[in-house]
Amino acid sequence: MRIDSTHKKWLIASLIIFVVATAVYVPYAAESPYGPSGASGIGLTFGIAGFAFMIFAGLLGARKRFPVWRVGRAQAWMRGHLWLGVLSLPLIFFHSGFRFGGPLTAALMVLLIVVVVSGVFGAVLQHYLPTVMTEQVPLETIFEQIDRVRGQLLEEADQTVARVTALVAPLVTAIPTRVAMATEEVAVITEADIAPLGTFYDREMRPFAEKPDARGYALADAARARAMFEGLRTLVPPAVHESVKDLEDICEEERELRRQVRLHHWLHDWLLFHIPLSFALLLLGAVHAVMALRY
Amino acid sequence: MPREKRTTKTVAKRIDLNYFKRPSPWRRWRFALSVALPCLAVAWLAAYGVARNSHAYSTGKMSPAHAVLTRQCGSCHISQAGFFRAAATDHACLSCHDGPIHHADQVFTPSCASCHVEHRGRMRLAATADQSCTQCHADLRAKGAATSYVTHVRAFTSDGHPEFAPLRAGFRDPGTIKLNHAIHLKAGLLGPNGTRVQMACDDCHRANAADQSWRFGAAPTSQSQPASSPMAASAPAGQIMPVSAPRMFPPSYSPARAYMQPISYARHCIGCHPLLFDKRFTDSVPHDTPEVIHTFLVKRYTDYIATHPAELREAKSTIALPAKPVPISPRIYTPQGWVNTRVAEAENLLWRKTCKECHALSSVPPPPPVPAAPMMMPAALPKVAKSNIPVRWFPDAEFDHQAHRAWTCTTCHPRATTSQATADILVPGEKTCEQCHHAGADAAEARCFECHAYHDWSREKPVKGTAHFSSWMQIARRPTS
Repeated sequence: MRIDSTHKKWLIASLIIFVVATAVYVPYAAESPYGPSGASGIGLTFGIAGFAFMIFAGLLGARKRFPVWRVGRAQAWMRGHLWLGVLSLPLIFFHSGFRFGGPLTAALMVLLIVVVVSGVFGAVLQHYLPTVMTEQVPLETIFEQIDRVRGQLLEEADQTVARVTALVAPLVTAIPTRVAMATEEVAVITEADIAPLGTFYDREMRPFAEKPDARGYALADAARARAMFEGLRTLVPPAVHESVKDLEDICEEERELRRQVRLHHWLHDWLLFHIPLSFALLLLGAVHAVMALRY
Repeated sequence: MPREKRTTKTVAKRIDLNYFKRPSPWRRWRFALSVALPCLAVAWLAAYGVARNSHAYSTGKMSPAHAVLTRQCGSCHISQAGFFRAAATDHACLSCHDGPIHHADQVFTPSCASCHVEHRGRMRLAATADQSCTQCHADLRAKGAATSYVTHVRAFTSDGHPEFAPLRAGFRDPGTIKLNHAIHLKAGLLGPNGTRVQMACDDCHRANAADQSWRFGAAPTSQSQPASSPMAASAPAGQIMPVSAPRMFPPSYSPARAYMQPISYARHCIGCHPLLFDKRFTDSVPHDTPEVIHTFLVKRYTDYIATHPAELREAKSTIALPAKPVPISPRIYTPQGWVNTRVAEAENLLWRKTCKECHALSSVPPPPPVPAAPMMMPAALPKVAKSNIPVRWFPDAEFDHQAHRAWTCTTCHPRATTSQATADILVPGEKTCEQCHHAGADAAEARCFECHAYHDWSREKPVKGTAHFSSWMQIARRPTS
């Protein structure tokens, strides 16, 4: 989600809440004989507010799971998730008096910090990376379908090379033949002429397309790939150049897919921390609230 | 045939339209982690529960004094049957500690935990905040009659704390010993055996723990000052307390290291002020009551004349005292008459000069006519006023000289070198202490507890423990998560 002017109201509201909370906390902390405590009236209020914001932020998952619920637009929920989630961190710090306390409260503080920091990190990524994705991956596909698309590309490449090989299939006798086309006489294509293409395909391109996770392939770099294909064109007859261009396009598409995979991981992998830790945080937070009432 | 040109449409054709029906690895991971991490959290808490250890719910580390109870939450957090809540109560504190009341006439008694805040890590529980004290002392009220204490104390500052009681107007030094500090600290003072000495503060003033010989004192002998002696340093009951007074000391506090030893003739004065009474003798009279001294003199002279009968025939007076009757020369005494005469002379010297140099003697009798029979006790002996030298000038506060040993004596007692009058009160004032003890990170502790104790430990009652060490250790040894 882009953090744009639509967030202005949330930003202002969050700032007001933060400033008011700080204005309450500073004199309260200064005048508390033994420092601020989560058990005091003000400390408890901070704790309740912070936990309420956490619960609201956590309800975004439920809102997404049930899109037909008439409880506001998902965009509004997302903005609330973002700003109130961030706001929960200072409120909980005010609740605890910036102390980590015992094992459970320390675990809660660490979880909260990791969740909020990972959320802010994700929000920043989701603000910038979609633009980068649009620029660098114009033909972005569905992430889950990348392996399937990659298989199709490999198949296309195999077919392209097969078509070129088919052109010289009758010439296996190695006798130079002039192939008469409809109107003009074209160059004679021998097996030796297309041998560089076959070698290039077998040694460079196919391994590159087959092993998307492998590193160190020259074709993974656009400039080096361009130079390699330019060199290949000088080694094969002009009649094959069209096929070489197809192979070059396939390589380019493969590079885009790799770029998309990389950007996708940046865009979404932080959620593998953020979401599970959020569940743990809410669960332990509830336990803390109950046990704090006991002790 | 060239490859079909890439367009959005051609790319879209590659997509399996039912892809969303199959779980993706990323979603599987997200789901697995979303289940696993909360389960892990529950398992962590369950491990504490299985070990019957509620330490996980602690709000912070225990103070060093209670660190042994870290895993014994139930020692303080006692829940009543049928109630979920298990807050720490005064009852739990008082099962191990007695917390004597502050004053009998106090109108408010705070809970233990409101002043001694636990779960704040390595801090002294006795280090209470000023607010714990000023909640009453900022506007002090007492049951019944008006309190004799200052009623508005807010902090240890010039405007928040009253001047120390001995320095307030109207206070009088209760001591009766005549002492001129300036003379005693002069250079070239005539010392023991005619030597010239320069006295220093610690020749007379040392903390109690100091176990050194005294420069101008005597080795402890039978002549040492008896405790019953009115000349011994003592204080009037109530206002100025002797060191040994069992009042207001917290258990951690040792007055034996904190206060100066009481001034004593035998330790501090005898070297320069021997109580000689007759040239015939080299020893002194005991530093004791006039009655004891009289008995000593009678015995001393009786013993002497028994071994020196020639002195019963006296040619002339050997002691040139103004009040001495002119002897008839030559005069022959009976032994009893000789003893009475000598005792009268010696007592005249002692009561009118030697003792009076330091002590306030009341009703000094005139020189008696020499009785014929030996007097075991004369009709009138002077009364010696109790010395009343205060050992503790601040009975409601504590001070530790040992903690201040880095400073010279005159840093806090600057007038000691120039004071000439006994009535001069040389204890430092509030401003002197405030130079170091004030608010701020670069200052010494200035909170109330530094000098004042809340609990009146003289009222402390013994507590009979109920915990079993073995059962505690068994629980403590259990591994935690």
